[in-house]
Amino acid sequence: METVARPVNGTFLDVVAKVPEVAQRVHGDRIVQHAADNLPFLRKSLRDLAPPDPARARSALVVCSGPSLKRRDSIRRIVESGYRGLVVAADGAYIACLKGGLVPDYVLTLDPHPSRIVRWFGDPEVENHSQGDDYFERQDLDVAFRKNSLRQNQENIDLVDHHAARTRLVIASSASAAVTRRAVAAGFDMYWWNPIVDDPRAPGSLTRRLREINGLPCMNTGGQTGGACYVFAATLLKAQEVALVGMDCGYYADTPYEQTQLYYELQHLHGGREGIEPYFPEFIFPLTGERFYTDPSYYRYRESLLGISAELKTRTLNCTEGGIVFGPKVACLRLEEFLERHR
Amino acid sequence: MSELLKGNFKVRNPVAAEERRPPESLAETQRKRALASIGGSMVYVERTPLNWDGDGDGRKTG
Repeated sequence: METVARPVNGTFLDVVAKVPEVAQRVHGDRIVQHAADNLPFLRKSLRDLAPPDPARARSALVVCSGPSLKRRDSIRRIVESGYRGLVVAADGAYIACLKGGLVPDYVLTLDPHPSRIVRWFGDPEVENHSQGDDYFERQDLDVAFRKNSLRQNQENIDLVDHHAARTRLVIASSASAAVTRRAVAAGFDMYWWNPIVDDPRAPGSLTRRLREINGLPCMNTGGQTGGACYVFAATLLKAQEVALVGMDCGYYADTPYEQTQLYYELQHLHGGREGIEPYFPEFIFPLTGERFYTDPSYYRYRESLLGISAELKTRTLNCTEGGIVFGPKVACLRLEEFLERHR
Repeated sequence: MSELLKGNFKVRNPVAAEERRPPESLAETQRKRALASIGGSMVYVERTPLNWDGDGDGRKTG
């Protein structure tokens, strides 16, 4: 089946190519600063993580926060299946998991943003942190987050406080002080690591500098928390089979461009709304023939995930049931087919 | 003031005046802001290695 409806073109790839350099410029100093700020909190690292029960490690479900997680009702289906393997959640999917009755074995957090990410754990300073920031209104994750009220946030704080001790928090040294404070207060068992942000063998490597600051082991992320969950499940937990859920890296065709994460930035780059379509290439999801479109950031994530899959011995299955992540080593599978194998 | 001071003393080391760049256009400023936002939601993307624990050479596992 043809899997590309509107192919990527030179204009699009030009923006995609700039992403790593821009990200390095934006995040470089912040990551180093956070690594230093987090030093007093380092008690355990990935080296201290006990190996999981081999029977459970036959498989791992990586739960991410793409729009399919809600549309496909994936969490309810996982819970009702009696799935017995490991569950690794990205921070953005954590509260959705808890609300659905799924307590992850591990939650990963990575993004260094100083005020946004703490909301995934319930933010005690939400009023300060949300002033002048419409980030959550532009995320197509959970309506509850988009309308995020103070009451909702307080419920999230209570929910996380209640369950935190049952989940290991796999926390990157890049995490903000707000996330670290919140994780400590909630009572997580925390395991620290450094994100691999460049080639540590290269002169002047930032990754090497992070390790010199804190001595932590380093792990690749593919550029996003979901990618870090994938690498963690495959290389640290050594799951024989890893299934991805909520890993869309794209948007449902009925999502207006205006509601996507980069629309306003891309509109600026392009010089207006008219003719902006090339910045949003379209893919056809092979299991259903549905159309999904993407943007430069998500496309970059997709390419990273496919690259990582090619390096792993682990079998990778995409049970997202939508989106644009599929390739030679990433087969798409209905979620039930995967769950039935691991009851 | 610079006219009054000019030429009435000699400096020990040569001094190069900083070259002034022309002001950036609004479009260019917006373009840079847009690119910063596009790269601003993530930590970098780098595929190799998958794990590294400071062994000097960059150990690749997976």
